[in-house]
Amino acid sequence: MITLVALPLALLSMQQGTGIAQRLTGRVPPQIASLVEELGTAASARGLPIDPLIEKAIEGSAKGVAPERVASALRLVAMQLDTAAVALRDGGLVSDTLAIAAGEFAITAGLSGSDITALARTGANPAALTVGLRVAGTLAALGVPPAEDIGLVSVALRSGEPVSALLSLPANVQSAIAKGATPAQAAAGLARAAAAQAAHGPPPGRGGGHPPHPPHP
Amino acid sequence: MSGHELHPLVKQLLDGDITLADLPAELRAEGEWALRLLAGVDRTDVSMPAVTWRVMAQLERRRRRFLPWLLAPALAIAAALVIWLVPRTPAPASLVTVRFVLVAPDAKQVSLAGTFNQWDPQATPLVRAGATGVWTATLMLPAGQHQYAFVVDGARWVPDPGAPAIDDGFGRRNSVLTL
Repeated sequence: MITLVALPLALLSMQQGTGIAQRLTGRVPPQIASLVEELGTAASARGLPIDPLIEKAIEGSAKGVAPERVASALRLVAMQLDTAAVALRDGGLVSDTLAIAAGEFAITAGLSGSDITALARTGANPAALTVGLRVAGTLAALGVPPAEDIGLVSVALRSGEPVSALLSLPANVQSAIAKGATPAQAAAGLARAAAAQAAHGPPPGRGGGHPPHPPHP
Repeated sequence: MSGHELHPLVKQLLDGDITLADLPAELRAEGEWALRLLAGVDRTDVSMPAVTWRVMAQLERRRRRFLPWLLAPALAIAAALVIWLVPRTPAPASLVTVRFVLVAPDAKQVSLAGTFNQWDPQATPLVRAGATGVWTATLMLPAGQHQYAFVVDGARWVPDPGAPAIDDGFGRRNSVLTL
């Protein structure tokens, strides 16, 4: 029985090692490839995604960055993946590699582990939470402070709106900024509007409202 | 003596509880007969190879029937591990048309590099629109999030001034596009 359980683990480890090497062949210096394989294997064993490591290595080499600096960036990505995974676990989401990668992006954009935990605690399903984390990171990149950022994305996640509504938030914030609002004001205004809409139901024509009352007898 | 019911004292004699001398005189003849009969019994081991084989074969079949039940939990755990550990592949994303624009009047060539083309600075050149210095490229990108930068004259990595940007970890900025 132990053999049967250990076999897939060993095969997967070999497969991932080969996969990393294949994706990096000819794209990065050998020492970077070795480091990615080392960090990737360790990350994979902890249930973390390896794609962010591979992509960062390719990006660094394509930009002509010195290998030592690429190595530092890779170690930072590995650390941020760990932070994101812990934050998501604290929020009740375990072992979702796509959400962890999205959390790592949010951290790179300036959010903290507790911000990620707050979004995970909205109870959104993993797919919606993954999009929410990426949107929150994009809003942070637009200059929205964490409190307003998490407030807006949390309201959107709790309202159960479709993913397209979440994805439109950065454009809506940019539009408000273009009209003269600060990023914080823009996000807070959108959050208030979304909360009011959630309290009173969607506007006419969007469906999902209460069914009409039956006619009186 | 066929069909004869032995006297209880004779039965005790056969059981070894009493001796022939303990029997009353009228039962001694019956007791002697019973002892002779018992002495004539063949006490060698009975060998029934066919029966033994059938019983053992039956046990083996039962063991074989039981084996899958023993293996099933192990196979289930192994399968669950494979499913859990194999990285999930996202569903095919829909494509979105995106137009990239950079104003760079002095540039001789501009290209686009990002997560969508493995950061290859030669993969996606922009086209100059007349003499205005406006460079454009229109791409079909999968829905999701992309990071990118413009590459001016093959060497200078420039973030998109119209898009949010994040630290790239190398001291520069990457533009972010969420579709």
